[in-house]
Amino acid sequence: MASKNERLSPNLEGKIALITGAAQGMGAAHARRLAASGATVVVNDRDASPQLSALAAELSGLAAPGDVSDPDQVAALVERVRNELGDIDILVSNHAFMTMAPFLEADLDEWWKIIDTNLGGTFHLVQAVLPGMRRRGAGRIVVIASEWGVIGWPDATAYSASKAGLISLVKTLGRELAPEGIIVNAVAPGVTDTPQLEVDALSAGISLAEMHAQYAAEIPLGRIAQPSEIAAAVALLSDFRLSAIIGQVVQVNGGSTRTRA
Amino acid sequence: MANKVAIVTGTASGIGAATAAELESRGWKVAGFDLRPSPQCSFDLCVDMADPHAVAAAVSRVTQELGHVSAAVSAAGYYEMIPISDISREKWTKMLSVHVGGMLNLSRAVLPAMQEAGDGAIVAVTSELAIGGGSEDAHYAAAKGALIGLVRSLAIESAPHGIRVNAVAPGPTDTPLLAADSPWRAPEYLATLPLGRLTSPEEVALCVAFLLSEGTFLVGEILNPNAGAVI
Repeated sequence: MASKNERLSPNLEGKIALITGAAQGMGAAHARRLAASGATVVVNDRDASPQLSALAAELSGLAAPGDVSDPDQVAALVERVRNELGDIDILVSNHAFMTMAPFLEADLDEWWKIIDTNLGGTFHLVQAVLPGMRRRGAGRIVVIASEWGVIGWPDATAYSASKAGLISLVKTLGRELAPEGIIVNAVAPGVTDTPQLEVDALSAGISLAEMHAQYAAEIPLGRIAQPSEIAAAVALLSDFRLSAIIGQVVQVNGGSTRTRA
Repeated sequence: MANKVAIVTGTASGIGAATAAELESRGWKVAGFDLRPSPQCSFDLCVDMADPHAVAAAVSRVTQELGHVSAAVSAAGYYEMIPISDISREKWTKMLSVHVGGMLNLSRAVLPAMQEAGDGAIVAVTSELAIGGGSEDAHYAAAKGALIGLVRSLAIESAPHGIRVNAVAPGPTDTPLLAADSPWRAPEYLATLPLGRLTSPEEVALCVAFLLSEGTFLVGEILNPNAGAVI
């Protein structure tokens, strides 16, 4: 681990990064990692919370709660950041909503809420940050997809569809925005040690420790990921010296998929 | 970290040279292998990567002189475009023995000590052409594609030992491998790339350095710095 004063590569001094879904788990790790590279971080989650405020305070950043599935709230959020800090250079679209159910038992409203939050939320965010990135003449957008968006998963139709949709969105925006110096990519994490695993364990009717062991057994590296290991890939894709990775999906999963996303 | 030893092949120029420079700037001790001397490397050996005995001997020498090798990057290679009917057996065999054989020989030489240490990372430089293919690229694309199969299999086999194996698949990169009159340098081709330019060796080097250091949960993965050539 780097000491507190040591800047990690890449150098993001002077850059403003917005990270969604940052109150806990992976989002908080991305915020910490980009802050460790010198970025000023804006941490978002759906609701204001002591957790979110504490993270912002820890990183000398800004807490900007708001529901990303609501385009008006997203526009207001980005406007607020512009007024208080400036235009956003880096967007890490990390928020996600998930429930699991066999296909025919899935509640239709819930199904659409997953799509509207995960896929729609990212769409709204990209639309809102683009004018600022264009003013800056460059930008980095990193979308957190999922292993399940690449290979699919039983009882997760909406989630997998939303994440696969994000991958196609990333590929398209990668092509569309690269000529402007705005580089768009995705990270597809495998099973990661976040509070989400408690939901999985509950759904499977087993303990959290059993859930960890069950997932780890399926991963060649023999363990699940730490959030910081996903954040490392986010930092790579936030590097303004690296423009040649475009519309790609970086799979960080301990070797579970070994496929092209 | 400051004293870790990495072997990089193909360090006389291009991606290998840029990778050696990036790793040295991050505090690695780098041993550069190439057919020719690698003037930018503080420690270099002239090695034919297609020769398993020469590679094994060179790796032993690095271990004796610099210490335990904890990372290896197989970047040595060459490029030529030949229509399929004109690819002689010799040209086919040479292409495979340098690209696939180079990675095979390097891995076989460094893995025993990595397994003993329970730690290590290997990166192969493959190509965007391994994924998308290209006209007159049959033997090159076949070799680079085989490299991907080798990397992924070696990755699952090595992961339980704590060793990570991954690859980088660059698009056309601005190195001496691309002649001045190469079709990959033509403005008409560059205009088809979302980035509008060739990938730089430094960009590939950033990807390799990431896979060797902070990318601790990437296994059997291919990073694609290709300027948008294959999305």
